[in-house]
Amino acid sequence: MSEIVTTPPTSSTGRTLRTEEMILNMGPQHPATHGVLRLELVVDGEIVVDVIPHIGYLHRCFEKHCEHMTNYQQVIPYTDRMDYVASMTNEFGFVVAAERLLKIQVPERVEYIRVIMAELQRIASHLIAIGTYGIDIGAFTPFLYCFRDREKILDLFEMTCGARLLYNYMWVGGLSHDIPPDFIPKAKEFCAYFKPNIKELNDLLTYNEIFVKRTANVGVLPADVAINYGCSGPMLRGSGVDWDLRRDDPYSIYNKFAWDVCVGKGEMGTVGDCWDRHIVRAREMEQSIRIIEQALEQIPEGNVQAALPKRIRPNPGEVYARIESPRGELGYYIVSDGSATPYRIKARSPAFSNLSVINEISKGAMIADMVAIAGSIDIVLGEVDR
Amino acid sequence: MNSERSTIIRKKDLSLWERMYIPEIVKGMKLTIRQMFAPTFTTQYPDERFQPPASFRGRPVLVEENGVERCVACGLCSRVCPALAIEVQAGETELGKERYPEKFEINMIRCIFCGFCEEVCPEEAIIMSQEYELAFTKPQDALFGKDKLVVPIEKVQTRLNFLRANR
Repeated sequence: MSEIVTTPPTSSTGRTLRTEEMILNMGPQHPATHGVLRLELVVDGEIVVDVIPHIGYLHRCFEKHCEHMTNYQQVIPYTDRMDYVASMTNEFGFVVAAERLLKIQVPERVEYIRVIMAELQRIASHLIAIGTYGIDIGAFTPFLYCFRDREKILDLFEMTCGARLLYNYMWVGGLSHDIPPDFIPKAKEFCAYFKPNIKELNDLLTYNEIFVKRTANVGVLPADVAINYGCSGPMLRGSGVDWDLRRDDPYSIYNKFAWDVCVGKGEMGTVGDCWDRHIVRAREMEQSIRIIEQALEQIPEGNVQAALPKRIRPNPGEVYARIESPRGELGYYIVSDGSATPYRIKARSPAFSNLSVINEISKGAMIADMVAIAGSIDIVLGEVDR
Repeated sequence: MNSERSTIIRKKDLSLWERMYIPEIVKGMKLTIRQMFAPTFTTQYPDERFQPPASFRGRPVLVEENGVERCVACGLCSRVCPALAIEVQAGETELGKERYPEKFEINMIRCIFCGFCEEVCPEEAIIMSQEYELAFTKPQDALFGKDKLVVPIEKVQTRLNFLRANR
């Protein structure tokens, strides 16, 4: 990768050999594409000249479907299925947008529970991202440890809302029901259990020399390119841009907690390489634990369904609300015509914008590095295609 | 090509010992061996069954009380279902509830287990049970009629208690 051969190869007689670019399909059944993504690689020998992502294999007409619902509430199970490894944050984004459209204030207890759930979900999502990234690179063990810890988060979700993956927990104006009484002690227990595990995970994977060799200086995304392509989340922060919607465009009650935005600094190589994106995710889990611990201490008593409207009929108008999902800026644009059904819903999914930069960052990389680059973007095809 | 972007900057030079990767492998193996003596997290599925908590949303069922289902065939569940999985046809009965579901069919291929039917039901007649082993060999098997859906109230009592406490 350090140097690209520019002189054409010659035969033993000194004649210039004609070389041709080859097209190589990676996916849609390739395990490293994390779903049904097809990457069309134009390769010159081992070097990737161009990457064309072909998406749409998991398109389920989310936006069109929303227009044919009987009410706003029914959209929520569908938002779950967009980013299926971080369902809670998808619901969160939609309810924030719908509540802004309806101009209702939810009780403080609801906000606290939502923040706790969203941050637990962020940890669960990052654990999948880190675990599967390890598998992509060739480290199988961290994956199992990540899933062991994620299971504990899913247990917490299950005792709260009855589902392990697609929750349907946050409703417009409240929650489906309150947290059970033993949730708070169990969540505290999880925080105490999980903190040493982050260090264990970092020792095992992040600072592992083999892992560093595979990820440092690979897939370098400069800050200007990241901004131009609309990247967000760990992808943007890995490139050294200090931008987090939880702090810079506060929604819910994130301004009540003390925590830091993690930014890639190029500790192992260049700023914005795959390793930086990985370490941002690993450090964000620590910060999420900090937020959860503070929220669990401060959580007030109260009703969780106080503001739940019987019939949701927003006034004609439009709203755009965005939140920081584990993958980046997740926005919902809702147009209401005054009826009980949304006139139009547009979801701005972070994984889609993040994926669009893959062509830019993988030019000149080796084919083997393509796996490392695609894994570091942490795409969920359910969200890319919707 | 972005040659200026792909230049290698190596901040620390590795010694021969570090370049052999052996310390890293030993570190990894130490952790692996420690895990061998740690308690297991897995369950041996067909032998050990997972016991879902009361909040669990499994297969939707119709509650049967005193030998007759509670459902009055109002059709709210069918209207609220985001996946259009429920089909209800009402009939008249001599009983006090006056209406009963002549046909009640849930297409379990369509069902997304969101629990809206349970939430909207005014009679507490449709309940998310704790059953989670749902495998079909034919698509026709996934059409659950009243014969499969109606269960006696004793079987779903824990879920009914949970709903009363949390609503």
